[in-house]
Amino acid sequence: MKEYIPHVSNLLNGVMKGLPFLMPEFVLALTFLLSIFCGLFLKGKSIITWWVTVLGIFSAAGLAVVQIASPAVESIFFGMILPDAHGAWLKLLIAFTCLLFCVFIYYNGALRGHPKKIDDLLSVLLVVHIGLNMMATAVNWLMVYLAIEMVSVGSYIMVGYLARDNKQSEAAMKYVLFGTVCSAVMLYGLSLFYGYTGSLCFIEPAHLMGLLEMPPLVFMVATLFVLTGIGFKLAFVPFHFWTPDVYQGAPTPVTAFLSTAPKIAAIALLGRFVFAWTTVAEAELPLLLFYLLAAIAIASMLLGNLAAMRQHQVKRMMAYSSIGHTGFLVMIVLVNADRSFPILFFFLTSYVIVNMGVFMIADYLEERFGIATMAQYQGLGKSYPMLMVAMTILMLSLIGFPPTVGFVAKLLAFSAVIGSYQQAGSMAWLLLLITGSITTVVALFFYFRIPLNAFLRESKSQIPKFSYNGLAILAILLSLLSLTFGLYPALLLDIL
Amino acid sequence: MQLILAGYLYSGFDGSLSGVNNVETYQFVEQLPWIRLNLGSLGTLEVDYFIGVDGFSILLLLLSALVMLVAVIASWKIDKKLKGFFALMLLLNTAVMGVFVALDFFLFYVFYEVMLLPLYFLIGIWGGPRREYAAIKFFLYTLFGSVFMLLVMVGLYFSVTNPVSGSHTFNLLYMMNPDNYAVGSVFSFVGQYELFGVPARLLGFIVLFIAFAIKVPVVPLHTWLPDAHVEAPTPVSIILAGILLKVGGYGIIRICYSLFPDIAIASAWWIGLIGVISIIYGALNALAQQDLKRLVAYSSVSHMGFVLLGIASLTAEGLSGAVFQMISHGFLSAMLFFLVGILYDRVHDRMIYNFRGLATIMPNYTAFVAIAFFASLGLPGFSAFIAEAFTIIGAFNSEGINGLLPRWMAISGSVGILLSAAYFLWTLQRMFFGNARLKGGEQWQKQLTDVNTREVIALVPMVALALLFGIMPSLTFDKINTSVLTLIELVNKAH
Repeated sequence: MKEYIPHVSNLLNGVMKGLPFLMPEFVLALTFLLSIFCGLFLKGKSIITWWVTVLGIFSAAGLAVVQIASPAVESIFFGMILPDAHGAWLKLLIAFTCLLFCVFIYYNGALRGHPKKIDDLLSVLLVVHIGLNMMATAVNWLMVYLAIEMVSVGSYIMVGYLARDNKQSEAAMKYVLFGTVCSAVMLYGLSLFYGYTGSLCFIEPAHLMGLLEMPPLVFMVATLFVLTGIGFKLAFVPFHFWTPDVYQGAPTPVTAFLSTAPKIAAIALLGRFVFAWTTVAEAELPLLLFYLLAAIAIASMLLGNLAAMRQHQVKRMMAYSSIGHTGFLVMIVLVNADRSFPILFFFLTSYVIVNMGVFMIADYLEERFGIATMAQYQGLGKSYPMLMVAMTILMLSLIGFPPTVGFVAKLLAFSAVIGSYQQAGSMAWLLLLITGSITTVVALFFYFRIPLNAFLRESKSQIPKFSYNGLAILAILLSLLSLTFGLYPALLLDIL
Repeated sequence: MQLILAGYLYSGFDGSLSGVNNVETYQFVEQLPWIRLNLGSLGTLEVDYFIGVDGFSILLLLLSALVMLVAVIASWKIDKKLKGFFALMLLLNTAVMGVFVALDFFLFYVFYEVMLLPLYFLIGIWGGPRREYAAIKFFLYTLFGSVFMLLVMVGLYFSVTNPVSGSHTFNLLYMMNPDNYAVGSVFSFVGQYELFGVPARLLGFIVLFIAFAIKVPVVPLHTWLPDAHVEAPTPVSIILAGILLKVGGYGIIRICYSLFPDIAIASAWWIGLIGVISIIYGALNALAQQDLKRLVAYSSVSHMGFVLLGIASLTAEGLSGAVFQMISHGFLSAMLFFLVGILYDRVHDRMIYNFRGLATIMPNYTAFVAIAFFASLGLPGFSAFIAEAFTIIGAFNSEGINGLLPRWMAISGSVGILLSAAYFLWTLQRMFFGNARLKGGEQWQKQLTDVNTREVIALVPMVALALLFGIMPSLTFDKINTSVLTLIELVNKAH
């Protein structure tokens, strides 16, 4: 014990130095405590908890903005996390997603009317938010594991929150089982990494060099194991099996959240690991890893889009569509580090805006008319022109059709890949490009089934008229936002 | 209103300036920086709102404005969701105009894609019984072409630098100048860059050509056209045939030929062949149709083949003929579809064999149909005659001037004219002459009233224009001549 005493002040110093960078997370933790108290002592007044949560997320977002202005230059807490400007931007985006989620559950009758109330859901959300923030900034495998677990456990609760029928319970069970297995496998992979390199901080050159010196077979196995854990969060092929069932079974707001927020954090994580090779170690990304990720990207794009063609449920279709988009994200991560962050961020933002909008409209219709399949959208274009036009815009954005934000995002992704191809000239880039283009055409087919049903077909029965609630209006605003960013992408890209 | 503006542009257009590849010689130019993105080592993303008009586009603008007006007149009978219909029409109009004036590839692409959307809904909502199939087929075909066009566009973007600012650019005019291509870039003129063992520039040309060929449409990529036409409501058919097919031809001239002149020469033979096949195949198909609208649709395929043949010849006559053919076919096909629409409005039937002896029931209508048919089959005095004659002359001379097209192609082209005479005259005979005998009997006889004033107002200007351009082709040639010559010079320079 004695010999540690001289180090204590050093350790304390290190901790103290890092603390200011954790301000957003502190605020969130405080809010979390507050929200639990509110939920416990102010029974029946969920709205207070809701406000507390929203304010907490807002202030966390504000602090993230401060962090953008004064990022950390090196990792803090002894190489655990790196709260740089990129990380802060991602935190901001995550906060934005969480806020949309809050509004979403505010208007969701199923959650509001449930005897459990929404207080606990909000508390869980705050924890997940902290976990996501950590994930977006983590540079140490240990931290990564902790953050992923934090997010996962929260997500399990969210998915099973209502558990109204067998289907929902099944979804939650599947999610939990699959999630735990994946993280266990990942942990094993990490132990291999640690065993061969003696370090867990993946932005240290020593660690990366150590990885290179591993026997190729072991390296491959260990990498696969680690990718299992990340892949589960990102839902890329072949770790996507849980997505359709969970997306369909979970309450719609939760589905919307799961399809966006964890992806932001997980892709950031993957990005950090991939970028570390070129920026820190000044080495090429190991070919093995490159081909592995390229194959994953291609497979995800193909499978996501092709399988989506066969879906009838809106939520299942969106699940496969999110797998397809993950493929795109992985593709962006592969291009050179210095150019891909703005593109990645733009793609993520566009994805968040559009996905949230789609799920909001889907939820609005589900609550009003019990609509779950695409065929049931018949004739809605006549009764709800505004809403359906918004939906069409969002669908166009998902396809990547100008002048929506999705088009700019895809264009940027393609240009980045072509740029990389010019430098490296590997066939893998061309394959990625061609897959990306073909799947865009395929995507038209299933995304457009909704406008097709809504506008081209007549409804068989009378459609009752409801007024738009805040959720529908927010969705319409999001669709307008997707148009605005599509026409003026500079609004977003210039501030990065 | 728009027509007046376009008319103003036409009158203000100075035929002596050539455009094509030199910004000073474009007219009514507007250039505003639109997107300037700094992407780190990717350089600055430079996208301009850059529009201008030259000899190729001015007449197409005029044509679009006119055809739009006719389409609006033809939509008198539409009674479902009027507001949506006209909103989509105007959106379509904007996009079409945008395509014809855009001088920035990015802008061009955006307009090009935006064009699809209103059409999908116009066909899908207001169309016939199989409208869903037709609408999605049309959409998929075109999107398939344009997605790959996007890739080439981005590839070009990386190959071309703006000599002024030094960053990459989408500016079409810079893309036309070989000096602006970075050495060793994918589409650079020098240095044979290869993709899949094929020279990259050839591949890029083919991809772009396919994208536009789907639009033209060229056999064997034409199968969406008859379906789309048959299912589309009359005004949409008019726009489709009158304007949208021209976008394909315009794209080939503006993008494919101007950006890849070297490949254009190398592949002229193939393009000419495709043109000839389209002419013959379209005509033969038209001969076999029993649905009047399908017949007109296939005749479009046939006539647009001439455009391709003329472009492939790369002679002054051929190219002018091709542009002229686009204009002439623009309002002639609009007229034909309008006439078919009149018949369909009355009895909701347009099978050729269900009508006989219409001349006795609807004399004025028959007169208009006869004029339209004769004009389309290239009777001297009408615009199509000049257009087809020039095209064939161009194709014929090509062997002597630049040796690109063999003579038999021109001869096959004239066979196409013969075939078109056959199907038009045969149809005229089957439907309009002889004793009146209708499938619907008495009831149809009552419904088949002659053309009314509104329809006459729409038809007369088109007849007048067909005659005017047929008698005074200089109205057109004066405007396009210098542009045509500049393009040919540009192409020959690359040779």
